[in-house]
Amino acid sequence: MKSNIKKGKGDKIGDEGQKLEKRNLKRKFLKTVSGFAISLGFISSSLPFLPNFKRKKSANRKNGNSREGSKIKWGMVINLDLCTGCGACVVACKIENNIPITGYEKKDRGTEIEWMTLIPHKDYLIPIPCLHCDDPPCTKVCPVNATYINEEGLVAQIYDRCIGCRYCQVACPYSRKYFTWEKPEFPETYVQALNPDVPVRPKGVVEKCTFCYHRIRKLKEKARDEGREISDEELRKLPACAEACPTGAITFGNLADPDSLVSNLARSPGAFTLLPHLGTKPKVIYLSKSKRISLEIDKDYENLQGEKNREI
Amino acid sequence: MSMEVKVIDDKNKDNKRRRILENLWKPTRGFVLFSLISLVFLILGLSWFVRKEIYGDIITSLRNPGGGGVAWGLWIMFDIYFVGVASAGITLSVLVRLFKLDQLKPLTRPAELITIISLILGALCVLADQGRIFYALLNLPRYARPISPMFGTFSLVVSGYLSASLIYFYLSSRKDAFELSKYFEGSKMRRLLYKIWAAGWRGDYSQEKRHKTSLFWLSIVILPLIFVANSTLGFIFGIQVGRPGWFSALQAPGFVIMAGISGIGLIMVVAYILRKIYKLEELIGERTFYTLGFILFVLLTIYLYFTVVEELTAHYAAPEKDRYIAHQITIGKFAPIFWINVVSLLFPAIYLFYQTITRRVNIFITALSGFIVNVSAVLKRFLIVVPSQTHGLYLPYQEGSYFPALSEIVILLGIIGFGILLFIFFAKIFPIIPLEVLEGEKEEEKEEKKKEEEVYLPSRVRLIFTFGTIALGLFLMVLGFVFSARFGTKPYLDPILPFSPVIFISGVIISFFSAVVYELFPSRRRI
Repeated sequence: MKSNIKKGKGDKIGDEGQKLEKRNLKRKFLKTVSGFAISLGFISSSLPFLPNFKRKKSANRKNGNSREGSKIKWGMVINLDLCTGCGACVVACKIENNIPITGYEKKDRGTEIEWMTLIPHKDYLIPIPCLHCDDPPCTKVCPVNATYINEEGLVAQIYDRCIGCRYCQVACPYSRKYFTWEKPEFPETYVQALNPDVPVRPKGVVEKCTFCYHRIRKLKEKARDEGREISDEELRKLPACAEACPTGAITFGNLADPDSLVSNLARSPGAFTLLPHLGTKPKVIYLSKSKRISLEIDKDYENLQGEKNREI
Repeated sequence: MSMEVKVIDDKNKDNKRRRILENLWKPTRGFVLFSLISLVFLILGLSWFVRKEIYGDIITSLRNPGGGGVAWGLWIMFDIYFVGVASAGITLSVLVRLFKLDQLKPLTRPAELITIISLILGALCVLADQGRIFYALLNLPRYARPISPMFGTFSLVVSGYLSASLIYFYLSSRKDAFELSKYFEGSKMRRLLYKIWAAGWRGDYSQEKRHKTSLFWLSIVILPLIFVANSTLGFIFGIQVGRPGWFSALQAPGFVIMAGISGIGLIMVVAYILRKIYKLEELIGERTFYTLGFILFVLLTIYLYFTVVEELTAHYAAPEKDRYIAHQITIGKFAPIFWINVVSLLFPAIYLFYQTITRRVNIFITALSGFIVNVSAVLKRFLIVVPSQTHGLYLPYQEGSYFPALSEIVILLGIIGFGILLFIFFAKIFPIIPLEVLEGEKEEEKEEKKKEEEVYLPSRVRLIFTFGTIALGLFLMVLGFVFSARFGTKPYLDPILPFSPVIFISGVIISFFSAVVYELFPSRRRI
């Protein structure tokens, strides 16, 4: 190699010498690049085994950051046979979570925010909160991890981090995410009544149902102070919508606990989830004996389906 | 008109060269008019953007999907359009270099310029779309994660692709900068500017050889990068199960081909305009348009095939909602747009086929078909973005409609105005056609330069530094990627190191920068 370079420097450069030099240069380049690639690959593959990395991982698991090891999976069962479509859950949700009051005018403009909403299907209304999917499409696409699924199975949103790209909103097959199109405004008398536990979202972020996580946290703190475990009875009507429901159609609880009411209901024969074919595994389960619906299928084919839509 | 290569005499060349050089730094009437118009658009766009920042996105006609609207509209459409257009410019330049298509050589510089400017415009479109632009500017470098398809857009398209084309562009412009520093002897400031720009270009044989080597390797790297970048844009839609009509493996290749179509089309239009303005009838002649037309024809055929396959698949036995969207597009609410789109792809394809077969070139119609396919490209982006949001609702929400509001259009026009401003200002300070093409390489000069080579020594330090830069870049890339991806830890929030995405991006930029190191590294003079 040395001699070749000298040749290049030499007094006379023949075509052959040039070719040789060129070939040499390419070979050299390939050698170096492949060498670096191999070493880099080695370094990067060995990274997870570095001691520091390992400790961090185990620490995460201890905190319950890995969902597999967690014993809590919040879920909800909505009994459509009991639901009267009164809309109390929608109103309760709005008051609890400081959602700006909108008139009929805004509903038409498509800027209205309703974490819990009623959608008409046939001659009845179906209440739909965020379904807190176990495999949510929305958390995968977030470019800055502002929406993520936490260790208790809640699909959470960090308003401070959200950049307002609306990708999660577009990705959600249930359209359960809402963008704050303008600065939230409340009547003067209403400001006093805002819930101090829930932040008022700024304009330009995406927001969604949290399963009233502030209530869960409060309950947890209370139980910890009293030195006891949270009981299922306390959880059943915990979220604002469940609390407000006059017929008791909404039940909340821990789906990972096989003895809880919510997981018993979820296992019952009339249970189904929305759009099971998408594989999102929603943790809001619907219950109905008479209204056997699956919204993905056209109304005419409704009676053709058997009892197969249950997912959890 | 028949295809014939006209022999250009020396006088003509000098005329062209003089015409282009004389126009530099001279505020001609057309220049002033156009820059004023685009400046007005830019200012209007900026003021409406400020309005958007104050009042929120309520002033746009974007709405919640399910609430009768679309969350992504005009800006996302044009983001895709601009990134698509960008890809063709640099591809053309790379193809000219790799396959020695001399008839397209005069278009390399405008094409590269289109690439750079439209990438900037694409980034601006995405930024305009964000609800909180300042949070976006801070949080994207801070928390960006590779699992989101947006990461590809943000890191590969904007940083990698843009830096690669900037470097490619800069390295190939040094020669002309050197010429210009000689031309503007009289003016101190301009001479200094071009001297800095040229960065030690002397035009000797060893430098040109190195230039060839570095651009060859850059081309090799850029070509696959274009495919990757446009595919990530396609993945933004193609991997969404939530919207019927989007989930398709055809999205990514479709985006790549459509990018080529719109880009080649725009280059045709720009070539036509340059030809008229600078009176370069011989230089950008029938052969140029014939070749461009042929490339466009091939791409159009592929895309029409894709369209047929897509529609057949969606109409035959697709899941109900997908079929519903397809019906809406072909015979329903969006049918006019769809059929205009198809026709405006089909007619140029037929015409260009005819042109390719008969070898009879009508430059005006070729340029016109370039314009038409661009309109079609925008319509196609509408058909990709909008129907799946307004009608692709799995739950029985109300169906919506979308027409861009004044605010969206004005901000978009502002962005386009900014792009035109950049283009014409650049054309005022730098020859938009490479001077080398205007002159034509002379064999004697080459021989002379070859002799000069003996004066400079080949340097091993240069190679060490070059490969060092590549290695550093690759190392930072891997490091940044691993740190921001956090393999193995499933639910995560932050990258392991803060600002890991920035490490990744700087790695990409540094590894491309190695080409600059390779060329600009000072060489020793033989005693």
